[in-house]
Amino acid sequence: MRPYCVLLVAVSAFAQSAATYDGSRQVKLTGVVTKIDWANPRAFFFVDVKDAAGTVANWAVEFGNPLDLEKDGWTRNSLRIGDTVNVEGVPAREPRSQAFAKSVTLAKTGKKLFVAAPKKPAVAAVHEPTPRWPDGQVRLGPPPSKKGYWKAPNATALVDSTAGKIAMNDEGLLKNLSNVDRVAPFQPWAKAVYEYRQRTLLKDDPLARCLPPGGPRQFQMPNGLQFIEQREVGRILVLLGGADRNWRVIYTDGRPQGQADEVVRGYYGNSVGKWEKDTLVVDVVGFNEHFWFANGGLPHTEALHLTERFTRPDLGTLKYEVTVDDPRTYTRPWNGGWNMQWVPNEEIQEYFCEENVEATLSGKESYK
Amino acid sequence: MAICAPVFSQQGHPLTGTWSGDWGATSTQRNQVTFVLNWDGKNVTGLINPGPDSIPIASVFLDPTTWTVRIEADTKNKVHISAEGKLEDLGSYHRIIKGSWTQGSTKGDFKITRT
Repeated sequence: MRPYCVLLVAVSAFAQSAATYDGSRQVKLTGVVTKIDWANPRAFFFVDVKDAAGTVANWAVEFGNPLDLEKDGWTRNSLRIGDTVNVEGVPAREPRSQAFAKSVTLAKTGKKLFVAAPKKPAVAAVHEPTPRWPDGQVRLGPPPSKKGYWKAPNATALVDSTAGKIAMNDEGLLKNLSNVDRVAPFQPWAKAVYEYRQRTLLKDDPLARCLPPGGPRQFQMPNGLQFIEQREVGRILVLLGGADRNWRVIYTDGRPQGQADEVVRGYYGNSVGKWEKDTLVVDVVGFNEHFWFANGGLPHTEALHLTERFTRPDLGTLKYEVTVDDPRTYTRPWNGGWNMQWVPNEEIQEYFCEENVEATLSGKESYK
Repeated sequence: MAICAPVFSQQGHPLTGTWSGDWGATSTQRNQVTFVLNWDGKNVTGLINPGPDSIPIASVFLDPTTWTVRIEADTKNKVHISAEGKLEDLGSYHRIIKGSWTQGSTKGDFKITRT
């Protein structure tokens, strides 16, 4: 009987999860492709690899998100069963035949089929003016008759703005654990929980089980987001492109914020927003404790109260600032934030974390 | 049959929640016990065996550097309870606390699991 399930990890197309893969090691494989699993969000192919003793092992090789791969010219037929390939990649931490590909080369021709590289979104020229509604209010979505969405935060971890630069990877893993005290003004228990999550390489991340990325984390997701401003009914919808492809409502109809103890608790909380000149200020309470509100494993309690500020100084930039106030977790309120970039003429992609949920619920062994 | 951990894990203060298990002086003489614990930002408060015969918890001490927990309470009959244990499997919804239990002059062990 399996005591718990295989960890599923929702990651960006070309980033391997530190919990699943050991970035400090490399593996080189040569073998014949036996199967291709061209599935969103994570594509795998399988190769039979023979070791020096002649023993054949079937390796599962992850190589990215099919939607991003297609944008780079891939199709499900770019690699065929029976092809012999050379793979360079990062092996899984667990003792199993699995790797995350950094490059894939056809052995017969030497043709490089795949080279992992961070994808740079097309970014709107920043000199273009901020789009506005006819009454002058800033638009958070595209200009009239245009498309676009927000992506590529320039920071993928939330840290106290007084801390200065702290070296972390894209998942919010500290390069140096001695910097824990600089990340946020933790209460002792919260510091210990954060350290535990860091030391265990974020293995218990609820996002890896497809739970929603509430709080600031929704603005750290690799697949971006879109604002749908429904001014006639006084609300803004935030459509999330990644994780579990979820959505959040920010009420701008003038309603008062509920009392934190009375609000039905959820992953995205209860959001009430109002415009202060060109800044949308959103008050959020009513969070549950089932998720991590930022990359890297920052803890919180039901007392979490966020004040978010969104400004759009030009077409291509969304400035996100947040004040975190959770007196049960932190010794004082603290601030953080980042900028996101406008991806013009595109829409958020379909990216469902739940692709592997069947394996999650059944406890069935899975390579994903 | 496969069993999975619930996906709705509690990620806040690691003691918050309902814990159930047993304590006893020997492996065969066991007593069911339930704890309901809540972190208010300064203290962990709660009850043992909620219901008509519930026992209010007098104090909870947590050392997060070692994840050791000490819980003190007194029954209606003024029998002192002291449970001291270690929090294990911190990242799991079904994390556990196990250690030594003293109730009056009876000494034993306990193990409770977050439910």
